[in-house]
Amino acid sequence: MLTLIRREIRDHIVYFIAAVVFSAILIAFLTAAMYNLDWVGSVVFEALSVPILIILVLGFSAMGVTQMYLDRNRRISAFLSALPVTRSRILTARIIAGLLAILIVLVPLTITAIVMGRLTGPPIPISSGHIADILTTVFLMTFACYCLGLLTGWTANKIAPTFGALGLNLVLVSLVFVKGFGPNIKFLLVLVIVACLIRTWHKFMSTSL
Amino acid sequence: MQIRIDNASNRPVYRQIIDQIKRDIALGRLVKDEKLPTVRQLAAQLAINPNTIAKAYRQLEGEGIIVTRPGSGAFIANLDSNLSRSVRKRLLSDELERIAVDAFHMQINTETLLELFNNAVEKLNVPSKKPPSGIHKGEDSNE
Amino acid sequence: MNDNVIKVENLVKYFDGRCVLDGINLTVPRGCIYGLLGRNGAGKTTIIRILLGTEPTTRGDTFLLGTESTNLAPKDRGRIGCVAEGHNLIQNYKVERLIKLCKDLSLQWNHESFDHLIETFRLPMDRRVKNLSMGMRAQLNLALAMAIDPELLILDDPTLGLDTVARRQFLELAIEVIQKQDRTILFCSHILSDVERIADRIGILAAGKLVVDCPLEQLKERVKKLRIIFGESPPENLYLTEIVNQQIHGREMTVTVANWNRQKQAILETFKPSSCTEIPMSLEDIFIECTRPGTEPVQVA
Repeated sequence: MLTLIRREIRDHIVYFIAAVVFSAILIAFLTAAMYNLDWVGSVVFEALSVPILIILVLGFSAMGVTQMYLDRNRRISAFLSALPVTRSRILTARIIAGLLAILIVLVPLTITAIVMGRLTGPPIPISSGHIADILTTVFLMTFACYCLGLLTGWTANKIAPTFGALGLNLVLVSLVFVKGFGPNIKFLLVLVIVACLIRTWHKFMSTSL
Repeated sequence: MQIRIDNASNRPVYRQIIDQIKRDIALGRLVKDEKLPTVRQLAAQLAINPNTIAKAYRQLEGEGIIVTRPGSGAFIANLDSNLSRSVRKRLLSDELERIAVDAFHMQINTETLLELFNNAVEKLNVPSKKPPSGIHKGEDSNE
Repeated sequence: MNDNVIKVENLVKYFDGRCVLDGINLTVPRGCIYGLLGRNGAGKTTIIRILLGTEPTTRGDTFLLGTESTNLAPKDRGRIGCVAEGHNLIQNYKVERLIKLCKDLSLQWNHESFDHLIETFRLPMDRRVKNLSMGMRAQLNLALAMAIDPELLILDDPTLGLDTVARRQFLELAIEVIQKQDRTILFCSHILSDVERIADRIGILAAGKLVVDCPLEQLKERVKKLRIIFGESPPENLYLTEIVNQQIHGREMTVTVANWNRQKQAILETFKPSSCTEIPMSLEDIFIECTRPGTEPVQVA
């Protein structure tokens, strides 16, 4: 399994590097926002949160699409299937790699936010419970978009994944903004994730390679 | 031991091996008590399935042409022994019967057949001399 | 324990409504070297893909090492080495990286023999797979298949793209494997001379059926081509079964018969032909006769 995960990471190292860089940028912003005047901080925070979210969402969706699309078109799984590995392990390793990338962005951010919160207090008046809520939702949303990417990426067609994924992601993101953060949206996101994964699993296991 | 497999031949590979070993013995290239390569060695040397070679060896042993001594390998048999000789005579007479039948179907008469046979024997006994055409000028004039 | 390493039962396969395989039955016992022959498009690659589980059947079952092809567990795959058509490798990787990936994922690996092969084939480690010549890709594929010391080797046209020396190297490699005892090989090839050297059993695929499935050494004895000259016009029906092919020119009839035996000889003699000669057939001739379109699919088994 470890070998398979290593292979995924190495093949898509671009995304991991981007994740690290993005993470660093976000932490820099957060730190800067904390140490500036509160009102500047809050403006920056609210103005930037939307583009940041969009980058996260599209970025990880693209990663999902790339992972599946490259596999199909470079016939990677076809080759691996001849070796003593099961298809389920290949897919699991792929999803774990994706999760790792997401965590690379979100975990340092969370830690920084918590540390900052203890040191200086939040830039906008929200409770720590609220922060946890936001972060969980962001995580779920990112993962859901990633799963959408996985689902749409498994095709030989170039257009379908690009526009399909884009479309579905926009729908999802707008839903989040409409409904706001809360238990309802979390439930919806989990549903989307489960549905995507099941469908991806099924498609991956049954296609002739 | 040089064995060449002819892929255009109608004879199976194991038969070709048998034929060539027999020919080598008849031509004196393989002598009595000479050690043959093992099945493994010959298989590797010729790039031929060892089962095929094993079959050829088994058949040769059945015909009394070679003997296998356990632990030592395969050797050319003592071709002067009576048992071996009678086996070989029987085999050769079977072969000659087949040739006689073929000759009949091809409408070749007995004299011509004997002439062809003598030519074949001569070619075998005198391998380094020139072909007979230069020597038997008189008889050639009929052709 | 059932020691048929490969088993195909009533395999039927349709592609887009076209019948490619029409009821194939095949068993390859342990230790057998089976050469599968057939013209391009006959279905050899399809059979192999179905055996390996990469292609589903329309009807029928196939088994490798006792397990159904669609259910092959990793530990079963670890005992099977395969060289697929088109040499299915990850094109973007460097040779070195690909080798390491296989090494890490395989259950067993014979370092000595693999390194020896790489050296013999002179494969460059730091070149990308897509930049290798076709022959080198074939050799890499072969080396990877052999390195796991497989019980069963399935090779689809393993010498495709190999130069003369490399082809000979492959043959010698195959012999080495055969000498190891209990290794089974199923291979497809168009190079009949190679097949004749290493196969124990031959199968010929034509018109969706396995028209020949018999030990190689018996094939030439079982399929006979005869030129028969009759005193008058040849009879309409020779009452011989298993006629593969028949041609008539005046008083002369050329007939190719499968499973020739004394009975057929006797039947033929009742027609009192004026002459009957056997036309010698090489493996290539037999192959051509058996795969002629419109030929009666006769079983030589």
